[in-house]
Amino acid sequence: MNVIEIKKRVYDRNDEKARVLRDELKAKGTFMMNLMSSPGSGKTTMVMGTINLLKNRCKIGVIEADLDSDVDALTVEKTGVRVIQLHSGGMCHLDAGMAREGLEALLYADLDFAIIENIGNLICPAQYDLGQSVNVMILSVPEGDDKPLKYPAMFEKVDVLLVSKTDTMEVFDFNLDILEKRVRKLNPSICIFPISAKYGDGMDVWCDYLLDAIENWK
Amino acid sequence: MHELGIVLEVVKQVEEIARVNNLAKIDTLVLQIGELSSIVPYYIEELYPIAVEDSFLRDTLLRIETIPGIGECSSCGLSYHVKDSDYKCPDCKGSEWTVITGTEFMIKEILIESSGCQS
Repeated sequence: MNVIEIKKRVYDRNDEKARVLRDELKAKGTFMMNLMSSPGSGKTTMVMGTINLLKNRCKIGVIEADLDSDVDALTVEKTGVRVIQLHSGGMCHLDAGMAREGLEALLYADLDFAIIENIGNLICPAQYDLGQSVNVMILSVPEGDDKPLKYPAMFEKVDVLLVSKTDTMEVFDFNLDILEKRVRKLNPSICIFPISAKYGDGMDVWCDYLLDAIENWK
Repeated sequence: MHELGIVLEVVKQVEEIARVNNLAKIDTLVLQIGELSSIVPYYIEELYPIAVEDSFLRDTLLRIETIPGIGECSSCGLSYHVKDSDYKCPDCKGSEWTVITGTEFMIKEILIESSGCQS
């Protein structure tokens, strides 16, 4: 029996595709946000609120990824921006190849800002580089402030944490200071924005941050 | 499912390795999976036969080597097995540590019979 040594990281192929895609996005001046969270955290409401605040300032497109439905795409379409639906065919995460497929279907070259709403899941999407300019996650208040203890990989990975549904803070036993301590222990440089997309609280600060990042990408 | 996508990706990459190296058959595929990689070897083993059913790897055996999750204590510098010690340093009880090994997910090697090369 002969042994052929391979010693290859399985994620290398995806990481290389992501690197190429990121370079292309940079060259075209399209800022791409990979948005991750668990199901029901308010991703689509946040995306709608963000689009409404930014759509007159920059050209936006959205890729809605789901296992198998187009509910979110139909909702986001109402904002008037370009939207496509991507089906992951049962997979729990997107990869760089799927991100490229989505961007190409979106005809992204003239966009300033492309949003990819990843599959609702706090575990698997953390493993995959999509070629994004920024990794953003949402943690909603009803989910609890203990989530960084349970899903550290996701909190370590993201550049921005949006704490959503802050309007429900009094109903749930959620402590923003404790959350921040837990998150910063994993990821000291993370940006944290508390928001209520439903009532608009904190959305202007978040959108100012985004607008700066979009402009700096060019 | 997380592991299904991963197994399909491994199959794709090993098929590519076989093509590049002009191999007619691979007897055994050896993967290395770290204990801190969030990949569960049990599921990889369960899904492997399904993933390879219609592929070049149909008759290829799978072998998984587990790489222990070893961390270095940020307070006292001790290296220890993090899961066995419940993520706390067994010496100074510190709970902060940095990974030394255990996040790997690698295609380590393939085994072929001497006659496995086509040319």
